[in-house]
Amino acid sequence: MTQERKERLGKAAGTLAGFAALLIAWQFGVGILRLPAYILPVPSVIAVRFWQTLSVQAHHLGVTAMTTVVGLALSLVVGVLLALAVVYVKPLQSIVLPVLAAFNSIPKIAIAPLFVIWFGLGMEPKVLLAFLLGLFPVFVNSVTGLGEIEPDVLDLARLAGGNAWRVFLKVRLMHAVPYITDAVKVAFPLALVGSIVGEFIGGNSGVGYLILSGQFNLDTPLVFACLASITIFTTAVIGVVAAFERIFLRWRPSRRNK
Amino acid sequence: MAAITAAVRVDGLSKTFGTGAAIQDLSFEVGENQFVTVVGPSGCGKSTTLRIISGLIRPTGGKVYLRGKEVDGVIGDVGMVFQSPVLLPWRNTIGNVLFTAEMRGKNPGEYRQRALELIKLANLEGFEQRYPYELSGGMQQRAAICRALLLNPSLLLMDEPFGALDIMTREKMGFELQKIWSASKTTVLFVTHSITEAVLLSDTIVVMTARPGKAKAVIPVDLPRPRDTKTLRDPRFAELAGIVRDNIEAQWVE
Repeated sequence: MTQERKERLGKAAGTLAGFAALLIAWQFGVGILRLPAYILPVPSVIAVRFWQTLSVQAHHLGVTAMTTVVGLALSLVVGVLLALAVVYVKPLQSIVLPVLAAFNSIPKIAIAPLFVIWFGLGMEPKVLLAFLLGLFPVFVNSVTGLGEIEPDVLDLARLAGGNAWRVFLKVRLMHAVPYITDAVKVAFPLALVGSIVGEFIGGNSGVGYLILSGQFNLDTPLVFACLASITIFTTAVIGVVAAFERIFLRWRPSRRNK
Repeated sequence: MAAITAAVRVDGLSKTFGTGAAIQDLSFEVGENQFVTVVGPSGCGKSTTLRIISGLIRPTGGKVYLRGKEVDGVIGDVGMVFQSPVLLPWRNTIGNVLFTAEMRGKNPGEYRQRALELIKLANLEGFEQRYPYELSGGMQQRAAICRALLLNPSLLLMDEPFGALDIMTREKMGFELQKIWSASKTTVLFVTHSITEAVLLSDTIVVMTARPGKAKAVIPVDLPRPRDTKTLRDPRFAELAGIVRDNIEAQWVE
């Protein structure tokens, strides 16, 4: 156990050292190249700007986080429900799959302005974009996770007297959990893109809006500070997913103790 | 064996997949609390027969009776062990053993004691909390046997359960199964293509012909129990194995 902990600490230290090296190279490399701050600000300037705008950052990040998480939650609910429909009602496959595939081939970003026309400048178009971008990966993975069950397992369940509900709860759903967590890892950054693009297009809040205002004022350090905010948010979410996997998915090949 | 007392009676069973007949006019009986083995070449419909008996699939013709009652779909009083253990990877050993109870809609807590007893009987003590990937192939299959026996089924169907194991583990598993079976005393119908395994484990051996499968011979095994490694050196063992072999090889000439 202690050995394992040591290894993990060692790995974390390595990662941190890598980041530190990158930051140092950035800090002094920019100086050597004599790039002005409005082209590429150095980390120390970004840090100062981040600190100065902390409360603004927190406010706008909160808005973005909200639309992203709500959109992602919607894509989880709808994606899993659609997958259930397709898995349990086989004839639906030939209807739902082509429609979703066709829909997925439309770049959602391209229709974002439509959402502004339809839903205005509030949270709704952003949530909708985040939801639509996250939907497809959740749906596809859920279909696999809920549907691709070993026939022998289903036979065993049937022989033991398992009804559809118990088989769903204790076999299909459990089998789908890792597929859905994997889908979240893909869908979350996509939902975030949806939120930020939505903020670019209209409205007056969110990190996307803050980035735009940084651009208008040629306040490049602010733009970078916003990127730092987003990174903090993504790291937190990925951390939550990883913690979930560590606790509940210990049996997965990638999570097993050596 | 009178027809009324037979635990399983297979009567003129046939099953056709597409255009080919998998089994044709198959008839045999399994006595109460007996260990009966079906031996036959690959593809002679042994697995199909087990699935029909379990009620998972319907025969094209003929009937199966469980204690006099015609099998008409899954009845729930049948335990099944497949060639692969098909344990759920997200459940530990005890969780996997309790799976059948949960599928039946029972409170798993009530079956915990029974599960632990079976696990002990199957020499899996100390591995209750382990996950399938932490178990060897033989251990996984023993857990699958515990799972099949948890609800005290009156019939245990085993479809080449040791087919995926190496020969040494396989022999050991045979003895372990005998131990588990004599403790639970349920009726077992066991499918294999190992003659040695069949003779070692069975009270009766049914030899099936190649596709389409039908019963070619029914051979009672009169070796005393409990059987152990000494049984393997018993001249009667060799004799019986010879009889089974003759019945299988006779088909090559036909």
